[in-house]
Amino acid sequence: MTGDIASLRARLAGGDGPAFWRSLDAVADSPEFRAFLDAEYPAAARLAAAPDRRGVLKLMAASFAMSGLAACGQTDGRKQEVPYVRQPERIIPGAALAYASASLTDGFANGITVTTRNGRPLKIEGNAEHPWSRGGTDVFAQASVLGLYDPFRLQAPRHLGRPSTWQAFRAAMTGRFAALKAVEGGRGLHLVTGPVTSPSLAAQIAAMRRDFPAMRWHVSAPTGREALYEGARLAYGRPLETRWRFDQAQVVVSLDGDCLDAGPGQVGQARDWVEARRRAAAGKRLLALHHAGPSPNLTSAKADAPLAIGSDGLEQIVRDLLAQAGGGAPVTRDGPAAAWRETAFAALNAARGNGLVLAGAQAGPELLAQVHRLNAALGNTGRTVFHTAPVPVLDPEPLSALVEAMRRGAVQVLVMLDVNPVYDAPGDLGFLEAMARVPLKIHAGLYPDETAFRCDWNLPLAHPLEAWGDARSLDGTVTLIQPTIRPLYDGRSVPEILSILTDAEAKDGGSLLDAHWRRPGEDDAAWTARREAFLQAGFLEGTAFSPEPVGEPVPAPAALPRPAPSPAGPARRVEVLFRPDATVWDGSLANLAWLQELPKPLTKVVWGNVIAVSPALAEREELQQGDLVTLEAGGRRIEGPVWIQPGQAEDAVTVGLGYGRTVPEQLADGLGYDAYPLRASATPWRLAEATLATTGRKALPVTTQNHGTMEGHDLVRVQAVGSTTPVAAREPLPSLYPPAPTSPGGRFARERAWGMVIDLDACIGCNACVTACQSENNIPVVGKEEVALGRWLHWLRIDRYYEGGLDTPKTHFMPVPCMHCEQAPCEVGCPVEATVHDREGLNLMVYNRCVGTRACSSYCPYKVRRFNYLDYAGDAAPVQQQQRNPEVTVRARGVMEKCTYCVQRIAAARIESTRGDHAPIPDGAVETACQGACPTRAISFGDLRDAGSRVAAAAADPRNYALLAELNTRPRTTYLARLVEEASVKPGGSL
Amino acid sequence: MRQLFAPGADALLRLALLTAAACLAALPVVGAGLVRSSYVTGVGVAPAQPVPFSHKHHSGELKIDCRYCHTTVETQATAGIPPTHTCMTCHSQIWSGSDMLEPVRSSYAKDRPLVWTRLNKLPGYVYYNHAVHVTNGIGCSTCHGSVTDMQLTYRANAFTMSFCLDCHRNPENYVRPKDRVLDMAWSPPANQAEIGPELVRQYHIRGGERLTECGICHR
Repeated sequence: MTGDIASLRARLAGGDGPAFWRSLDAVADSPEFRAFLDAEYPAAARLAAAPDRRGVLKLMAASFAMSGLAACGQTDGRKQEVPYVRQPERIIPGAALAYASASLTDGFANGITVTTRNGRPLKIEGNAEHPWSRGGTDVFAQASVLGLYDPFRLQAPRHLGRPSTWQAFRAAMTGRFAALKAVEGGRGLHLVTGPVTSPSLAAQIAAMRRDFPAMRWHVSAPTGREALYEGARLAYGRPLETRWRFDQAQVVVSLDGDCLDAGPGQVGQARDWVEARRRAAAGKRLLALHHAGPSPNLTSAKADAPLAIGSDGLEQIVRDLLAQAGGGAPVTRDGPAAAWRETAFAALNAARGNGLVLAGAQAGPELLAQVHRLNAALGNTGRTVFHTAPVPVLDPEPLSALVEAMRRGAVQVLVMLDVNPVYDAPGDLGFLEAMARVPLKIHAGLYPDETAFRCDWNLPLAHPLEAWGDARSLDGTVTLIQPTIRPLYDGRSVPEILSILTDAEAKDGGSLLDAHWRRPGEDDAAWTARREAFLQAGFLEGTAFSPEPVGEPVPAPAALPRPAPSPAGPARRVEVLFRPDATVWDGSLANLAWLQELPKPLTKVVWGNVIAVSPALAEREELQQGDLVTLEAGGRRIEGPVWIQPGQAEDAVTVGLGYGRTVPEQLADGLGYDAYPLRASATPWRLAEATLATTGRKALPVTTQNHGTMEGHDLVRVQAVGSTTPVAAREPLPSLYPPAPTSPGGRFARERAWGMVIDLDACIGCNACVTACQSENNIPVVGKEEVALGRWLHWLRIDRYYEGGLDTPKTHFMPVPCMHCEQAPCEVGCPVEATVHDREGLNLMVYNRCVGTRACSSYCPYKVRRFNYLDYAGDAAPVQQQQRNPEVTVRARGVMEKCTYCVQRIAAARIESTRGDHAPIPDGAVETACQGACPTRAISFGDLRDAGSRVAAAAADPRNYALLAELNTRPRTTYLARLVEEASVKPGGSL
Repeated sequence: MRQLFAPGADALLRLALLTAAACLAALPVVGAGLVRSSYVTGVGVAPAQPVPFSHKHHSGELKIDCRYCHTTVETQATAGIPPTHTCMTCHSQIWSGSDMLEPVRSSYAKDRPLVWTRLNKLPGYVYYNHAVHVTNGIGCSTCHGSVTDMQLTYRANAFTMSFCLDCHRNPENYVRPKDRVLDMAWSPPANQAEIGPELVRQYHIRGGERLTECGICHR
């Protein structure tokens, strides 16, 4: 659908293109795109394809009969009441009960609380007390509750493909392990785990290694942080964790950094960053973020000065910066990279000691070491940048050592716990062939995955929501994992499995954890009190790592002579970057339908991954969106669809990990392409050279980036920091109608006025709110084909806009829930009054009245209404239905739905307020699901007429503006404009 | 040629047509009657239960407080169905050999729950909260009838939307003083028209329009 890149570029440069644009199609503004917009719902357009008179009569007769039949259904629920025999303590049927626990990403913890009802974990919330996550969550935590109920999980132990039992496993292992121990202390025994931050598990493995001194321990971490530790080793001679104090910084420069991106650090780092930025803005300063990197990510999206540059160019920049920081003569070069570097250096130089340069693991150890040197040279180290001991245990050897041992035939017993190396080991290792030589292979995992199929024993792992454990957060805080439900299937946790293998008497997870944390000789009362406190808080106070002093970094080695670029041939050489997927991560979450259907933050692609290429490369190589291309290096080859990504460095292509899973019948089977085969174990994040070739075939990825396109202007606005001129006019627009009942001057003008304000400066586009909403409001997934038809059901979408040219655009995120307009156009459209207002300003959706005309949706200028074309919710397996929130109706086919401002939470607060003296609902008592999940606290919600409320303060901010205010819908959801530096604001406040 | 139809055929035809028309006209009436009948609503029908529990005996004659079994009625959305343990607090001592109570004892001994037939149901898209009603002057018997007179428990009212709306529109006709909420024999006193509005004020009940807004019950 995209036109040719050159003409797009010309349109944008010539100023007759849009200032903010969502997609290349929108820039091209082609007739096809216009038609797509006019159709609004591609699905509806297809249905409306003019049937003849007889067809209409037939359809009407059929739908009449069908609706009659549908009305005969059993609607009043279960027919039995089954009380407990003995009421368990604390459990009140139907009431919510929360447990403090942790969600894990690559072994790192984020503090969470798990809301359970009737003994079932239903929703993840942040743990506000937790020193690292401070109430925020990420998509992985939010979706983990779906994984618990996944019917595709491995449900019982299997031996050689046949169902077995834990007793049989233990019986088979006892002798085997005794024999191993007797012979050379366990030579030939190899253990593979993911990254371990858990103190108790580390101690357990250490004890195991004392019993089996010759045992070897390997770590399989496809998205691990080894490069960070290696970078510190190069600079300081020892592995260190690098942490940032954004609040001390006056400028942040990111060199391929990922401080705001999905991963173990996201929740805490994004919170630090946004709080520092808020504080700076209060002091009328902008905590500017300069970002240079080859592959756009959330960090580059939030950058005030982004630069797209390949790895070689980046290395040059950091070398120049280092020379300048050391007082060297300014290096004069031409081009945008040099200009970016000059600006960044000027800012860093002006803020010596208060500048902050950061890089992410994917930048590679050499660049990370350079950044350490740069921070030291600028005097930032110890001030804005500090170091702690590494959080994970760094003892285990890499996977390559295991493969080498397997090749030699030195591995007798291979125990793989919660890893899937057959799928996610780098392709150059040849893991699968090597593993075939191991006589006994034991695998434990949540799913029967690629590795499980090739192992002798498959052990079902307990889900983190049903097991005991502990893990450290990125700041070192020991965080508790506590079970919120008895294991649904016959799963056991990793420590329990290790206990089966090594202990004379297999212990359960709870007692293993107790045994680790109880001090020797501690009396029962003291221990019980300490244990209770641990369970209550969910973390151990004061266990965060303290900063470690570092000396002067080792100076940079002289630049190595660069290998001459291979002679240009007919094949096209590109740099390949590997990036974890923003929703399914390394692939271990690929079976979670919520994450599959979650639009990736930048591409908005769902149910698959793409090969991102720059507009310039696409132009040069005549690539179109969706062209299938191959990437080849070292005899290994992958094939995937092209995605033309604005902001991508010219000669770098980005491939996404986590797809191309091959377990038959599982959700992820056959989605996307597998990038791991191309990966090299030595440089896991980058291949300097690969060959790009077209195949002539096409497979358009499914994306939602054009869905819900609003027609209007100034959708995204920016405001200069420190400005007190309102970004939008505050006077009400003239109207010939009387004010709406809930508007000022209306009948209900003195009632509570629920409203929401979303801070676009704080929103990092991470999607946590979207997943939280899905989890809270029983939003079903619809599948890839249905998404392509525009039938997805998310009540909250995040629109992503680009600003500027194709090559280095700025990026803006805008979450769009229902606006709860005071003068709601949708209500005018409904013929059956299924969508009406209440006096507190909620635009209600009455499902049992809705007859599905979809008129409301076509009347809605914000495109936030969703229609159940099919019975999406009815398909869920019985076990998945257990996850549903009983406080929210499960919508049937033929019903319109949309954001309700979490009316169930408002109702709960209202009912609570009728107790006692009927005091008004205090500010903060109602927290919507999206608001609670947000790691940057970008969303505030409450009573707009309560002058003391947070939301009223936000609504009075000069940055506040309403979306499509010119339509006079008077939305209750409004936005705070993104902050920019004075210089970049054009007259009029908007760009 | 012989006549095809006898002289009476016309009358028969007319009669048939008339009957058909009458049937058609009666259909909505019959239908409306049917959905209101106890056959459909279950009002007044006491279904078989694992134990023929008598509310009349326990709460009427022995005067056991409603809240002894329905423990969460004042604090939660659901009133709560008592666990077997609650039955056994007494029945481990009295009537401990009764045949009628065998299912209760066996439930307790085998740790298998009693399975009661549900009497009162609301559609899935209706969210009812016991606590907010009971603590604001709506008595048990307003919805559940005079349970203390029920030898076997039956559904006293069909919970149709109009049943709920009657009260949501005019709460002053139904509110009681706090101390009469559990009174099964309560009926509006002669001066309800005076004390009703006063109670509504006391309870901070936002009557009429507010309570009939859709979002109050549907979400």
